[in-house]
Amino acid sequence: MRTGEKLPAWELPITPTLVVSTALATRDFQDVHHDRDRAQAAGSKDIFMNILTSTALCERYVTDWAGTDVQIKGISIRLGAPAYPYDTLSFSGEVTEVADGVATIQVTGSVSLGAHVTGTVKVAA
Amino acid sequence: MNAEKQTLVDDAIHEKIMAAAEEVKAWGEAAEREARDLVNQPTINNWLEAMGLESDRFHQGEAPPSMAQVWTMYGQGGRHPDRDPLHAMMNVLTDAGFNGVLGTNSEQSYDRYLRVGEQVRVTTALDSVVGPKQTGMGVGYFVTSRSTWYVGEERVATMLFRVLKFIPKVTA
Repeated sequence: MRTGEKLPAWELPITPTLVVSTALATRDFQDVHHDRDRAQAAGSKDIFMNILTSTALCERYVTDWAGTDVQIKGISIRLGAPAYPYDTLSFSGEVTEVADGVATIQVTGSVSLGAHVTGTVKVAA
Repeated sequence: MNAEKQTLVDDAIHEKIMAAAEEVKAWGEAAEREARDLVNQPTINNWLEAMGLESDRFHQGEAPPSMAQVWTMYGQGGRHPDRDPLHAMMNVLTDAGFNGVLGTNSEQSYDRYLRVGEQVRVTTALDSVVGPKQTGMGVGYFVTSRSTWYVGEERVATMLFRVLKFIPKVTA
């Protein structure tokens, strides 16, 4: 890994099944992640992706590129626009620093409303 | 006196919120809980399938790192311990009228990957309460908590988690 290296773009269609199955697989039973009526009553357009999944998809994006043999040291994310079904989550990324045995990869996952997740994934380099 | 604060939140309310924050911070690492289950392959498999992540590594005894938090999720109908610092602080803000909540940041660090068969426990501490701030959602406070995961006495992962507790703006 070297500074400036770009990750290939990745587009993930967001389906209700994705939102619900990932919420349950992360043991997150908050109704806004699986019940559209309750999500809309809470002022949301639809059910939306949970934070553990946004983190997990950053892990997947980086390991799809680097391989799962890399050792991930940390994932820091900032949440933005909600990820609703029938939208697409488009990932881009770039290695922004390699220092002291750690590579920092800047990752952005965008939806039609803007950035859903921006963050960094740190891996042993 | 901070001019911004004066215009956003009544002084007495602000002082009460910050006093509560100091009190809850002083609890330190609290609300210790054990994971319901040991780190286990079926739960890893469900996660891998849902995320669409495929790897031999996670069928040979290791768990994906970002699953650290999954093991200690409350599950369905789970209840927070009485002295849970994050929820205690959120309740203070809810009672003061800041009833909106929005997760804004999650910063996880992994000391190592967990292994199948390990029993994980977690503690939570209140890290900071910052505000009031005028945000796109409305006036609010940022509440940051720190979770620490252990196997036995060994720290295996940490997370700074930040939420915005806000007074929802009235939309026309």
